[in-house]
Amino acid sequence: MSTDSIRVRVSGIEQVSPLIREFTLEAIDGEFLAFSPGSHVVVEMPAEPRPHRNAYSLLSDPRDSGCYRIAVRLQEQSRGGSVYMHESVKVGDELSITPPANLFAPNWNAGKHLLLAGGVGITPFMAYLPELKRRGADFELHYLYRGSSTGAYREQLKAELGEQCFLYDSEAGQRCALGELLADQPRGTHVYICGPEELIAGVREVTEELGWPASHVHFEAFAAPQPGKPFEVELSRSGRTVKVDGETTLLEALEDAEVDVPHLCRGGVCGQCVTRVLSGDIEHRDEFLSAAEREQGDCIMPCVSRASGKRLVIDL
Amino acid sequence: MQIDPRIKSRPLYDPVVIRPKAKKHLFIGAGAELDALYASLPQEQCIRVAGGADGLTEALRAELDKVFETLPLASAVYVCGSEGFMWDIRNLSLAAGLADEQVQMCEPTTKERRLFCTHCYEITEGVTHSPQACSACGRLLLVRDHYSKLHGAYVGVQINAEDPADIPETEELV
Repeated sequence: MSTDSIRVRVSGIEQVSPLIREFTLEAIDGEFLAFSPGSHVVVEMPAEPRPHRNAYSLLSDPRDSGCYRIAVRLQEQSRGGSVYMHESVKVGDELSITPPANLFAPNWNAGKHLLLAGGVGITPFMAYLPELKRRGADFELHYLYRGSSTGAYREQLKAELGEQCFLYDSEAGQRCALGELLADQPRGTHVYICGPEELIAGVREVTEELGWPASHVHFEAFAAPQPGKPFEVELSRSGRTVKVDGETTLLEALEDAEVDVPHLCRGGVCGQCVTRVLSGDIEHRDEFLSAAEREQGDCIMPCVSRASGKRLVIDL
Repeated sequence: MQIDPRIKSRPLYDPVVIRPKAKKHLFIGAGAELDALYASLPQEQCIRVAGGADGLTEALRAELDKVFETLPLASAVYVCGSEGFMWDIRNLSLAAGLADEQVQMCEPTTKERRLFCTHCYEITEGVTHSPQACSACGRLLLVRDHYSKLHGAYVGVQINAEDPADIPETEELV
């Protein structure tokens, strides 16, 4: 890992919705640090042939350094990390996490904070809320979920936040009218979205159409790396060739070959692992590079992106 | 890796274009560029505020405070005037809840610079040469190209702190 990992012990596991489990983590040596709302950690789970490493938002109170809490939604179609967390991790088990990093912090200059959560996307906002309340900030939470699978913490949130909390259970036919919600906001509002890609894309589209400034629209979408076609990558500095099979990410293949690539989120968001490409076509799957940078075709985010052809030459 | 010789903190002024999705367009100052944009929009979407030739006066500030109160979230501000004045308007806009990309500035109407003294924190207006004596503390300041958006001013640092008797030649600023 690029950062020193922290050994943690799982001190509590709670089923907070039919598909979501919450894990309480305690530091084995010393104490955790306080963190900023919106932070995530990457959890490393022992597995063969290589560990699972997934990013999860911290949902505990950012000022509470006694424990960290994360919530994991079971993803049947995933590469196994969430299944591992649900089926293999027991109270008392030890895991490694990275120190918290934040790519989704509130903008404290906002006149109003509009939080839009979809399903397990509620997690970063669980850490926002105590801090928003301490600061006396103006905010609203709009929480979209499916009653039979997600919707964790909704009763607690409704009880604590009252009229600042809006719940939408799609299975009960409750729809959030994004157009109306976003059209009717005061100057100085910032909107934060965490949830499925469709929700993020929907909000981005509506806010653009309504003339919102793009810098007031914040979102976090960790891309779970998706499989693809196998390819080869040539490392220009050493002349070595590394094979990347369809189920493995470029970053993992490089790690397996003991090539050190600085990285952080492993989800195409943070930009740490950006690597120069000298030749070959790229299938960009990240959220970090701009359209212009993609167009240039001379860099790749190896944590999620792949070659679109059979071969890449990279500057490593 | 190539080193970009430009000063990254010195603002560049791109051509001002209409923000197409804005519901309200606020034009501040005078200038042909603004006139043309103003004329291209339906009048009910526009607010025009004259002034700015004397900077952000008390009266103009009071007028703008009232106007900003009426602006919706989807607004656009277009401003023309001296560089310092335009950044004053940008800072007012941000304080009113607008974002940087909602404020567009024309090419400054003058090369005169506002200078911020890093020693006494006072402002000297209308600076055309470097070094320039600070209007408040009198120190002879090197006028850097480094721009403070917060102060809407170039940063000035004493050029002869080691030996105040050493008076370098002055150069005209571009």
